[in-house]
Amino acid sequence: MIEVKDLTKRFGRKKVLNGVSFTAEKGQITCIIGINGVGKTTILNGIMNLTPMNSGLILIDGKKVSKESYEKITFIPDAITMLPQMTIREAMQFMQDFYNSWNEERANELLGFFKLKQEERISNLSKGNTAKVNLLLGLALDVDYLLMDEPFSGIDIFSREQIADVFTSHLVEDRGVIITTHEINDIEHLIDKVVLLDNGVVLKEFNAEEMRASEGKSVIDVMREVYKG
Amino acid sequence: MKVSFNKREPVYVQVVQHFKEQIATGNFEPGQEIPSRRELANQLKINPNTAQRSYKEMEEEGLIYTEGNSPSKITSDEKVIKAVREELISQAVDSFVTSIRKVNVPIDELIGLIKEKYTENANE
Repeated sequence: MIEVKDLTKRFGRKKVLNGVSFTAEKGQITCIIGINGVGKTTILNGIMNLTPMNSGLILIDGKKVSKESYEKITFIPDAITMLPQMTIREAMQFMQDFYNSWNEERANELLGFFKLKQEERISNLSKGNTAKVNLLLGLALDVDYLLMDEPFSGIDIFSREQIADVFTSHLVEDRGVIITTHEINDIEHLIDKVVLLDNGVVLKEFNAEEMRASEGKSVIDVMREVYKG
Repeated sequence: MKVSFNKREPVYVQVVQHFKEQIATGNFEPGQEIPSRRELANQLKINPNTAQRSYKEMEEEGLIYTEGNSPSKITSDEKVIKAVREELISQAVDSFVTSIRKVNVPIDELIGLIKEKYTENANE
């Protein structure tokens, strides 16, 4: 389980996170929803310890983030971080050199799944295919937790469907996933838990299926209530 | 298997309903093997935990059964299959009656219309 407790973060005088708390379970897909600029990416950066927080606590399976944590959790940012002149194969090699948790077999399976050619240069790829390579590099790590920042933004519908397919496959199964998005439509049936964020606080945290069962409301219904009510 | 889900009813309830329809119409035959939880999730594009919940529900209702480590199967219990069929029919008729009652149609006219429409649609 990933526990985020009372996280605060200021950039200069601007308060971005104002006491954010939530949990994300292993074997579940947790979706952080909020419009642009509410601090979604900052939370992920905070969990990965990439940005120092002003206060708060983050625990991964009960432990604070350390050097060893990076073999247990991975972060897939919204843009690829590999050098553009690298080929897909070279980027995969880079990851393999860097991480013990790299799973070459799964990486090759993902290449096939996304129909990517490993000799292609990253700079020559379409936006959708770049997003898929980015995802491949993260998913091929044998880690317990995956953080994905806006995996669906700015790519075509078929690539989106392909990426959504990954979530229902063994490539993700049994791992804990946190994804951020401002576009819930495509993935409403895929997620377990929703964390609604606004102005640096969690407005509501709920299980999507329980919400449908107990109140007959879709995720969008709840968002409408919370954001406009 | 292609099912379109609505967003307000629990997905697992909709999956169970889909299975009931397939069982009642004979598309899923008694004793037929059903996909694993992961396969079902992938086919229907739903969360694997939801697929799991649907199977648990169906197991409890006796719609499917699992023996040891082999794949789950559709029930062969004729009583259960008959009950599923009756349940679906009665659900559909109930909702039809509720909406037609508001229009206040004489029963003879209604039966005539039903006969006409029902055979007409079946021939299409």
